[in-house]
Amino acid sequence: MKTAAELKFGESATIYEIDKSHPSSRRILEVGFTPGQEIVLLNISIFNDPIAFSVRGTVIAIRKNEANCIRIL
Amino acid sequence: MKTQVIEDLPLITLIGPPNSGKTTLFNYLSGKNYKTVNYPGATVEYSISKIQKKFNFEANILDSPGIISLVPNSPDEKISIDSLYSHPRYGIPDLVIITIDSSQLSRHLLLAKQLIDSSFNVLIALTMVDLLQRKGFEISAANLKDELNCDVIIIDGRTGNGVDDLVKAIDKNLKNLQAQEKNHPNQIHSNFNVNYLLNSFTEFEQIEKRVTSQIQHSNRKINLNKANRQLKVLNNDLSQNKNSQLDITTLKIDKILLHKVWGIIIFFLVMAITFTSIFWFAQPIMNIIDSSFGFLSFESHELLGNNWFSDFIANGIISGTGAVLVFVPQILILFLILGLLEDTGYLARGAMLIDKPLSKIGLNGRSFVPMLSGFACAIPAILATRTIPNKRERLLTIFIIPLMSCSARLPVYALLLAFLFPANESWIAGLGLASIYILSIISSTTIAGLVNKFRNRIINAEDTSSFILELPAYRMPKFSVVLSNSYHSAKLYFKKAGPIILVLSGIIWFLTYFPNNNPKIDSNNLSKDQITQLENSERLSHSYAADLGKFIQPVMSPIGMDWRIGVSLISAFAAREVFVSSLALIFKVTGNEHTLQTSMLHEMRKATIGNTGKYLFTPATITGLIIFFVFALQCMSTMAVSRKETGSWRIPLIQFFLFTSIAYLFTFLAVNGLRAFGIN
Ligand SMILES: Nc1nc2c(ncn2[C@@H]2O[C@H](COP(=O)(O)OP(=O)(O)OP(=O)(O)O)[C@@H](O)[C@H]2O)c(=O)[nH]1
Ligand SMILES: [Mg+2]
Repeated sequence: MKTAAELKFGESATIYEIDKSHPSSRRILEVGFTPGQEIVLLNISIFNDPIAFSVRGTVIAIRKNEANCIRIL
Repeated sequence: MKTQVIEDLPLITLIGPPNSGKTTLFNYLSGKNYKTVNYPGATVEYSISKIQKKFNFEANILDSPGIISLVPNSPDEKISIDSLYSHPRYGIPDLVIITIDSSQLSRHLLLAKQLIDSSFNVLIALTMVDLLQRKGFEISAANLKDELNCDVIIIDGRTGNGVDDLVKAIDKNLKNLQAQEKNHPNQIHSNFNVNYLLNSFTEFEQIEKRVTSQIQHSNRKINLNKANRQLKVLNNDLSQNKNSQLDITTLKIDKILLHKVWGIIIFFLVMAITFTSIFWFAQPIMNIIDSSFGFLSFESHELLGNNWFSDFIANGIISGTGAVLVFVPQILILFLILGLLEDTGYLARGAMLIDKPLSKIGLNGRSFVPMLSGFACAIPAILATRTIPNKRERLLTIFIIPLMSCSARLPVYALLLAFLFPANESWIAGLGLASIYILSIISSTTIAGLVNKFRNRIINAEDTSSFILELPAYRMPKFSVVLSNSYHSAKLYFKKAGPIILVLSGIIWFLTYFPNNNPKIDSNNLSKDQITQLENSERLSHSYAADLGKFIQPVMSPIGMDWRIGVSLISAFAAREVFVSSLALIFKVTGNEHTLQTSMLHEMRKATIGNTGKYLFTPATITGLIIFFVFALQCMSTMAVSRKETGSWRIPLIQFFLFTSIAYLFTFLAVNGLRAFGIN
């Protein structure tokens, strides 16, 4: 299954589930990355990491490593 | 904390997600001036104050750092949660006001629900309704009240709109409360599990649909359609999702500022302009202050005659403090520029851009804002590291913050640069200053990298690093907010540094004036000026300071300096600016009507080492001094805060000895290296 880290610039996707074994998974959920939400990869910083997604009407920057725990459809 | 709190008054605690407007509301209710910043994580310590009289009811109000949920993730969040459940002095709050950004309802309701479920007595203040409207939506406070079963009031803490309604609701709530027993909130952390989170969010989406609606004005609609079209261009399908639209201006700006190439170029440009402009802008204001102090000192000396008291006033007080005060415009401009940056929303972007390089040397993108505020002062900067969740990264950030070039060093650099470069071309000095800042950034990151290599020996802590940061919508900086923030930072600076500079100037004056306060000299065939000069040097060479100086001379000789600079360097350990006062006192810069700085530079240019005839201040020694100040940890308060935040003396002591020895070593290398190349 694809994860949010594999999205391309400007691509959108719907969250399928969050990998709960990841240490940051709880915070990822708490800031609003929940299953069913649509996310768009909006910004990539120069070294390709971190990347910023739009979610629930705001933009949140996370590391690729963290984006890996967001599984998408 | 200290300010006007009465302990048996009811306690109202402000809790809310980061950047939701808590401090703005707190300032409005309490009349205080705490810093508000468009960055999630501006407040890192709680503050408490009495509500202003004009609101006609008595209560204490507590501002807290922003939290995302009741399960803390970093030290600043823990402070908020601790102040909710177990505040050592004030206990459990009688009322919790939750600030919720209405343009982010479905995200921010999580905290509200957790607080309601923990059975706190809550009231909701909806902020940022103007931003919601900009997106083309409106919200019904009455409907939200029915959904959540608690009072909901729309407010704007910047203008005060709605605060009257809020005050009425608080008053009513507190009166009701007195009738009943105080309830005891339960800590139900363990129940906030993943299912709880998922169910809550589904519920919030429904609530959001029910309480918000598209604004129906005809003219608004046109804008909205246009906006929707623009949004579609930017990202395909988002506009369908009813309320999850993004701020279009922000998206557009980020296209450039977070662009892969332009983003980083602009980042460095912003930093460079910040530091170079300090010098250019300040010059005209500085000249005015400078000449007025020169005038004051000269006139008071003339007026009071030739005795120790006159010398104490003219030199000890006026020149000693004036020499530093001359540079206050620079400090103010630094605060202004940092304030502008903070208010736009750029800081979070900076943190994102720099996260990767910083993580390579053991820091975090979240270290960026503390490091940047280290350019103003290390103390709030060290506190600001509380937003870094990972302990090792937090300790390492604290470790290097004293190397950031704080505003106390500005007077020192400004004086030394003015010595090196001609006054009429202040842009060269501006570039010089920018290079000093770059040097301080390079040295701090290098040291961070080195410490990180040996991290198990110096800083040992757990190792799961993360970076999750909201990028808030850009805002046009409110100039009034920025001005008031900088004004209060400057006032705080004066309060803190002012007395130290004054007292130390007095002490140094005493040490340089006594015991030989009435030197006997052979005054035959000498002019009045020459007599004064001879007296001054005679007095100084037999003063207490000179006795003290004999001890440090051996340390100073290898770096090409003498005891007079040594004494000034030692006094700078009380506060770095005192270095400038001390030079002003030792090199006696009164007795002519020039501006203070001009005559100081004049005296410095004439000074020679002992009887050797070699000049004391040369390009080599000045460069050496600059390098010394870049590295040396000469600030007691920084060490005290570092101790408090790291929990022991270990780190502050390592910082002190490491940075100060590096400073001495590099000064030695610079001075002797330059001389080897023929630059004296
Ligand atoms: N547009 C708008 N901006 C607001 C409103 N209230 C506050 N702000 C701005 O929002 C930003 C954040 O406000 P703060 O009061 O610092 O937020 P906070 O909740 O204390 O944030 P933290 O201390 O980081 O948790 C500042 O730039 C304020 O000027 C509002 O109602 N509308
Ligand atoms: Mg705040």
